[in-house]
Amino acid sequence: MKNIIIKSGLVLLTIASMSGCKKNILDSPPYGQSTSEDFWRNADDAIAASNALYSFLGDEYMFAHTEQTWDICSDDQWRAGDHPEDQAIEEFTYEPSNPQLNDSWARKYEVVSRANAILINVPKIQMDEGLKRRILGEAHFMRGFIYWHFYRIYGQVPLITEENVLANNYNVPKATADEIKALIEADLTAAAESLELQYDEADLGRATKGSAWGYLTKFYVYQENWPKAIETGNKVITGPYPLAASFGDNFAPETKNNPEVLFSIQCTDGWTENVTSIYSAPRPWGGWGFNEPIKDLADEFEADDERLTYTLAKVGDMIDAGESNGGLQPVPPGLTNTGYFFRKYVNWRPDGGLDNNMNIIMLRASDVYLLVAEAKIRSGANGDAEINAVRSRNGLADISNATMTQLIHERRVELAGENERHQDLMRWDRAGIIDLKAHYAKARGQWKPARNFQRPKNYLFPIPQRQIDLSNGVLEQNPDFR
Amino acid sequence: MKFTHLIRSALALIITIATATVSYAQSAVTGKITDSAGRAIPHVNVTIKGTTRGTVSNTDGVYNVPVSPGDSVLVFSSTGYAASEVLINGRSTIDVTLATGSTRLTEVVVVGYGTQAKRDVTGAVASIKGDEFQNLPVSGATQALQGRTAGVNVVRNGGSPGNSGSIRIRGTGTINNADPLIVIDGVPAGNLNSVNPNDIASVEVLKDASASAIYGTRAANGVVIVTTKRGGFEQPNKISINAYGGFSDARKTIDMLDAPTLVELKRERYTNDGIDMNPVWDDPSNSTQRTNWQDELFETGKVYNVDVSLSGGSAKSSFMLSGGYYDEKGIITNSYFKRYSLRLNSDHRVGKRLKIGQSLQLTRSDDNALNTTSAQDGLIWSAIRFMPFIPVKYEDGSWGTSKASNEYGDINNPIFTAHANDASNVNTRLLGNLNAEYQIAKGLKFKVNLGLDGNHYTGRNFSIIVTDQTRTTNNNSLSKSFSESYSLLGEYFLTYSNIFAGKHKLDVVGGYTAQTFDGDLFSASKRDFLNEDPKQRYFDAGQSLNSIAGNRYYDALQSAFGRINYDFDRRYLFTATFRADGSSKFAEGNKWGYFPAFSAGWRISEEKFFNVGFINDLKLTGGWGQLGNQNVTGLQYLALIGSGGRYSFNNNTVVAAAQTRLPNPNISWETAEMTNIGLNAELFNNSFSVSLNYFDKRTEDMLLSPPTIGTVGTLAIPDQNVGILKNSGLEIDLAYRNNKGEFTYNISGNASFIKNKVIKLYEGNFIGSQTYGRPNEEISRTYEGEPMSIFWGWRTNGLYQTAEDIAKDPNIANDSRRLDGLIEPGDVRFIDTNGDGLIDDKDRVKLGSPHPSVVYGLNADFGYKGFDLSLFFLGNAGLEIYNADRMQGLDPTYSFNMYEETVNRWSGPNTSNSIPRMTTKRNNRNYRTSDMFVEKGDFFRLKNLVIGYTLSERLTKNIGISRLRFYVTGQNVFTITDYSGLDPELGYIDGNKQINVDYAQYPQSRTWIFGANITF
Repeated sequence: MKNIIIKSGLVLLTIASMSGCKKNILDSPPYGQSTSEDFWRNADDAIAASNALYSFLGDEYMFAHTEQTWDICSDDQWRAGDHPEDQAIEEFTYEPSNPQLNDSWARKYEVVSRANAILINVPKIQMDEGLKRRILGEAHFMRGFIYWHFYRIYGQVPLITEENVLANNYNVPKATADEIKALIEADLTAAAESLELQYDEADLGRATKGSAWGYLTKFYVYQENWPKAIETGNKVITGPYPLAASFGDNFAPETKNNPEVLFSIQCTDGWTENVTSIYSAPRPWGGWGFNEPIKDLADEFEADDERLTYTLAKVGDMIDAGESNGGLQPVPPGLTNTGYFFRKYVNWRPDGGLDNNMNIIMLRASDVYLLVAEAKIRSGANGDAEINAVRSRNGLADISNATMTQLIHERRVELAGENERHQDLMRWDRAGIIDLKAHYAKARGQWKPARNFQRPKNYLFPIPQRQIDLSNGVLEQNPDFR
Repeated sequence: MKFTHLIRSALALIITIATATVSYAQSAVTGKITDSAGRAIPHVNVTIKGTTRGTVSNTDGVYNVPVSPGDSVLVFSSTGYAASEVLINGRSTIDVTLATGSTRLTEVVVVGYGTQAKRDVTGAVASIKGDEFQNLPVSGATQALQGRTAGVNVVRNGGSPGNSGSIRIRGTGTINNADPLIVIDGVPAGNLNSVNPNDIASVEVLKDASASAIYGTRAANGVVIVTTKRGGFEQPNKISINAYGGFSDARKTIDMLDAPTLVELKRERYTNDGIDMNPVWDDPSNSTQRTNWQDELFETGKVYNVDVSLSGGSAKSSFMLSGGYYDEKGIITNSYFKRYSLRLNSDHRVGKRLKIGQSLQLTRSDDNALNTTSAQDGLIWSAIRFMPFIPVKYEDGSWGTSKASNEYGDINNPIFTAHANDASNVNTRLLGNLNAEYQIAKGLKFKVNLGLDGNHYTGRNFSIIVTDQTRTTNNNSLSKSFSESYSLLGEYFLTYSNIFAGKHKLDVVGGYTAQTFDGDLFSASKRDFLNEDPKQRYFDAGQSLNSIAGNRYYDALQSAFGRINYDFDRRYLFTATFRADGSSKFAEGNKWGYFPAFSAGWRISEEKFFNVGFINDLKLTGGWGQLGNQNVTGLQYLALIGSGGRYSFNNNTVVAAAQTRLPNPNISWETAEMTNIGLNAELFNNSFSVSLNYFDKRTEDMLLSPPTIGTVGTLAIPDQNVGILKNSGLEIDLAYRNNKGEFTYNISGNASFIKNKVIKLYEGNFIGSQTYGRPNEEISRTYEGEPMSIFWGWRTNGLYQTAEDIAKDPNIANDSRRLDGLIEPGDVRFIDTNGDGLIDDKDRVKLGSPHPSVVYGLNADFGYKGFDLSLFFLGNAGLEIYNADRMQGLDPTYSFNMYEETVNRWSGPNTSNSIPRMTTKRNNRNYRTSDMFVEKGDFFRLKNLVIGYTLSERLTKNIGISRLRFYVTGQNVFTITDYSGLDPELGYIDGNKQINVDYAQYPQSRTWIFGANITF
C-alpha cells in the first residue's frame, strides 16, 4: 500500500513539474507575425511593405467603389444599385453623416500610414540603393496620390506625415489648402525623381515616373499653373507612354498593362477581386448593377466614334456575357434601368463568371494629353496636337483651333466612366467656363432629373461627421456644412 | 434505428450487471446509524431493497435486520435526512452516516477549491441542482440556467440549434468579454455547453467578490462551477436510461404583403413620385401570389435525446459511466445540431490517507452554420423580404430567382440557399482531471488537481457556383479549417480545518496553480472543382489553391491563492481571500495582479437574545473584494506586422506586409470592485426561505479600444485601461415548500433588478456599434452617464398630413429640403431637438434602453402520488427592443417585400399618422433610426412545462425496474408580449455593443417532447 502511495506521489510530482513549473511560463510569443522591432530588416521586407501601398487600393470602400460614387453627381450616369445613401449624393442633399463620406476616409489614411512607415524605416535598411530609391519613390507617389484625392473631394483635411507618426500625434486640425497642395506637389515631384520610367514584366503596374508626372499635370491644371502643367504633361507625351493602338486595348484583360495606362489598380482573377467590375456589371449578368450611363452620355459621342462601343453597351448591342448568361446575344431591354451599362470595366469569362483579370484604371496618358491641351487652350496657346492625337486614334477627323467647348466634349467621351466628369465640370465652373448650376438644373430624363447644385457648398463634400465627433472638436466641418 | 440500437445495448448491459450482482447467503446485518457529527439517529427505517422486509433503529441508532440470500441492498431513510442505499456485499456489520437533508441550510455548496455548508457561506453563492433542468430539450446546460436564480441571466441571440447563449452574472460587467469563468469538475474550462445537461449534479454560481475572488483575474464576471454526477461508495450498481423525442415549430411569422397587394403598393410609389413606372410592375405575372417564403423556410423541427448511465461503488471505489446522444433538427430547413457525449467519473480510496479521483468527458458536437443573423443575406431576413410572386422552383425544376430585375431585391432564394448549404462545425472535446488528496495529519490535507482540456475543431464549407441567383458565386470552393487547442492545469494546495475549544472553527486553503493554453490552427481553401457532386467535394478534386493560413497561440496564467474561513460559535463568520495572478497577456511589469476580498456574516438567529418563533435561521452578510478580467486579446503591447495582404503586378501575385496594430505597452487587466450585502432567512419551520442580496460592482480600468480618429488608418487600435462601468442591483430569491398528505408542492421565484451605468469612457467620447442595413443606420451607442448600448436616433411626432403642416412646421423652418420641396405630406415629422430649425445628425437623442429593469423566474413543482407537474416561467420587464427588421420592412424605397401593415400607409390627409407614404425617394429619410421602431420588449413566457407520471414500484419491480417515469415537456409553451417581432428574446450583437436589436434572428422554437426515465 505504501508503495502505491509513493508511486502515485512520484507520478503526480512528475506531471506537476511538467505542467506547472515551466520556466517563463508567462512569456507569450507572437507566432507567425513580426513585431515592428524585427521587421524592416532587408530589401525583402521593404518590398513587402511597398506592395502594401497598393494592396489596399482595390478595397471596395476605396477606389473600387466608394471613390467611384462621387461621379454619380455628374451628367453621365444614374447611381442605380441599391445604396440608398447614394441618392443624397446624386441629388446634392447629402449630410455629413452620409456613410459614403466616411467609408474611404480611414482607408485612405491607412495608405498614408503605410507610406509614412516606409519613409521612416526604409532609409535605415542596408540594401540596394536603386531599389531603395524606387521604394521611397513609391511611398512618396502613393502619399501624394492619396492627398490629391482627399483634396479634390473634401478640400482641406488633416495632414499626417512622418513627424505625426513619430510624435504619435494623429488628432490634428485640418491643414491649410496651401499646405496640402505643397505636400502633393512635393511628394509627386519626389516620386517623379525616384521612380523608374518603366518596369519589366514582373513589376509592371508599379508607379512610374509617368504616373507621377501624370498626376502632377492634373494637379497643375487644377491650380491653373499652365506652364508647369504643360512641362510635366509633355514629359508623359514624349516619354515611353504612347497611346495604345486601339482605345479598347485599355479595357481588355490581355492588354491591360499597355504603356498608355499610367496607373491602375492591378487585379488577378482568383487572387484579388475587381470589385469595380462587379459593381458595374448588370445584375442579371452577375454584377450588382450600379452606375448606369444615361442616354445623355451616349448621345455625346460622335456618329462614328469607336469609343462608344468600348465605353458603354446599349439595348441591341451584341455582347458575349459567357455561357451561364446566355452567350453572345443582343443586350435585352430591361437588362438595366437606363438601357445602358458601362463596358469599360466589365469582361466575362467563357463560363459566364466575371473576369477579374481586368484592372481598375486610375490614369491614362490620353487624360494627360487632354490636360495639356486644356492648359494650352486656357493659356492662349493651341492645343490641337494633343486633342487630335486622342481623336485620330479613334478614327475621328482632326479639328483645328480647338476651343474649350471641343475640349470639354473630348474629355467627356474619352474619359466617361473614369470618374473625372463631375470634377472636370466643377473645375470649369469655378473658372467661369461653364455654368454648372444651370447645367445640373437641366432635367435629362427620368434617370437624371433637375438638381439643385449650390455654389460654393457643393464644390466640396463635407468632412465625415463621425470623424468630427471623434476629433473632439479638433477637426472642423467645411464651412457650408456647419 | 440508432435509438433502438442504443436501447438494445442498454438492455444487454443491464442483464450482465444484474447477473453479476447476485448476492451472498447470510442471516443478519447489524450496525449503527449516526449523523455527520457522530450522534446516533433513532427511528431510521431500514429496509431491504425490493422487499417489504425491514426494521427501525433503536434509540442508540443501532439496527439489526435479518437478510436472506438474494438481498443485496439496504435502504436507510428517516425524516430530516437524505436516504441512503448501501450494498450489503457480504458484510454482517454496516455502520452508516446519514447526511441531513431536510433543510436547505444543511446543503453543501461547492465553492472554489472546496465545499462549504450553505449555512456558513458569507458570500453570494447560488446553487442549482441538476434535477431542476434534467431532460429539458436544450442543446446545452447554458440555456438550462436561464431564470433559475437571481442575478444570473442567459441571453441567446437567436434560437438556432446549438446556439448556446451568453451567461451574464450581475449584469454585463464590461464592454469586452463579459462571460463568467466556467469551472467543470475543478478545471477552468470555458464551455458549459459541452457538458451533457443530464450528467450535471449541481451548478454553483459565485456571484460576489468574496465568493469568486479566489479565481482572481478570471472572476470579474462571476464564476460558474459545474459538478457532474459521481458514483457513491458502497452503492449498488444502478442503471438509468433517459430517452425523449419530440418536435418543434416556429411561434409566429411576420405578416408580409401578398403579391397583388405588393405590386399595387410598388406601383403607387411611381404614381406618387410622378415618374415613369418601372415596366416590371406592369407585368401581370407579378400579381400572382406564389410563395409564402417564411412558410417554406420554417418546418417542423425534431429533437431526440437518449442517455444511459451506470453508477455504483464498492467500499474502495465508486464510478459513474454515462453516454448520451442528442439530435436536434431545427425549425429552419437544413439546420441541425448533434452532440455525442461520454463520461467516466471515479473515486478511489487508497489506504487510509489517500483518495484519488478522476473525471473524464469526451464530447463531439456537430452543427451546420446557417446564416440567420445577417441583415444582408440572413435566411429569415431573406425569407421575409423575398418577392411573393417568385416560385420556390420553376416548372423546369430550376430554383426561383430575383435575377430578372433590380426591382426584385438583391436577395437569393432562401430555400435554395438553405439547400445549397454544405457547411459544418465539428468540435471534439476531451476534458478531464485527476486529483489526489492526501491526509498529512488530522485536519491537514495536501491536494493536487491536474487537468486537461483539449479541443479539436473542424470547420468545413463548400460553396457551389451560383449563377442563376442575384448574388452570384463565380468560383466554387472548399474551405476547411482545423484547430487544436489544449489547456493544461496544475494545482497544488493545502487545506486545514479544525475546531478549537468547540467554538472556533477554522478552515484554511492555500496553494499554487498554473494553467497554460496552447492552440494551433490552420485553414486552407481550394477552388474550381470541375464536378460539384458531393463525392467530389474534397481538396484533391480542386484545381487551384486559394489560400493556406495557419498560426499558433499560447497563453498562460500562474497564480497563488489562499482563503481563511473563521467561524466563532456559529454566530460570527469571517472569510478572507487573496489571489495573485500573473497573465501572459500583458507585458513584463504589468503581468501580475493582486485580488483581495473579505466578507463577514452574523447569524442573528444563533444569538441568545433572538427569540422569534417563526424564524428558524437568520443571517446577515456583507462583503467586499476586487476581481480581475484578463479575458481580452493578448499581445496588444506589441506592434504587429501582418503579411497577409495580396496584390499582383501584371498577374504576378505578391504578398504585402503592413503594421496591423499599434502597441499599448501599458495594457493590463480590468478590475472589478464589488460590495455585497445579503440577508438570508429560513422561516416557518424551514418551509419558507428568503434570500436578499444587494450588490454594487464597479469595473475600473475597463479596456476600451478608443474610437479612433480615421487619420490613424485602419490598423487595429490596442485597448486602453480607461473605462469605468457600474452595475448595481437587488436580487431576491424566495422559496416555499410544503405538503398536504401525499400532495407536495414547491414554489420558488427569483427576481433581479440590475442597473447598468457607464461612468467613464475614452475622453468623453461614445462607443458606436455596427450599423444596420443598406443606408447604414446607426442604432446603438454607448455614452457616459447612460447604460451601455442605448438606442440612439431621432424622435418623431407623426406624419405631415398636408402641405400646410410642412410649411408651418418649426422643426424644419430652416431646412433647405423644405424649400426645395423635398418633404411632402405623408412623410415623417422629425423633432428638431436642438431648435436650429433643421433636421440633421445633431437632433439625435436617446430613444430607449435595451436593459430590463427586472428579470424574473418562477418555478412551481407539484407532486401527488405518482404524478408530478412542473411549471417554469420566465420574464423580462421594463426594457425596449429596437425593431430594425420592421424599420426596413415598412420602407418602400427598398426593392424588397414589405410588412403587411403597409396597407395602412398614408395615402391622403388623415389616412395614417404612423406609416408613411409610398415613394421611391429618400429625401426625408422616413426610415432613419427613430422612436417609431422602439417597442416595449416585456415578455412573460412559460418556458417549461413538465407533466410526469411515475409507475408504482410494486408494478415495475417484477420486471426488474426500480423506477419508471413517463413525461411530457413543453418548451416556450406560450409567451405573453406586446412585442410585434418574431421573438422578444434577443441577445448581444457586435460583442456587447448592441443588445435587443431585432435583425429577424432565428426565433426560439416551441417544442414538445415525450420521454421516459427508467432506472434499474
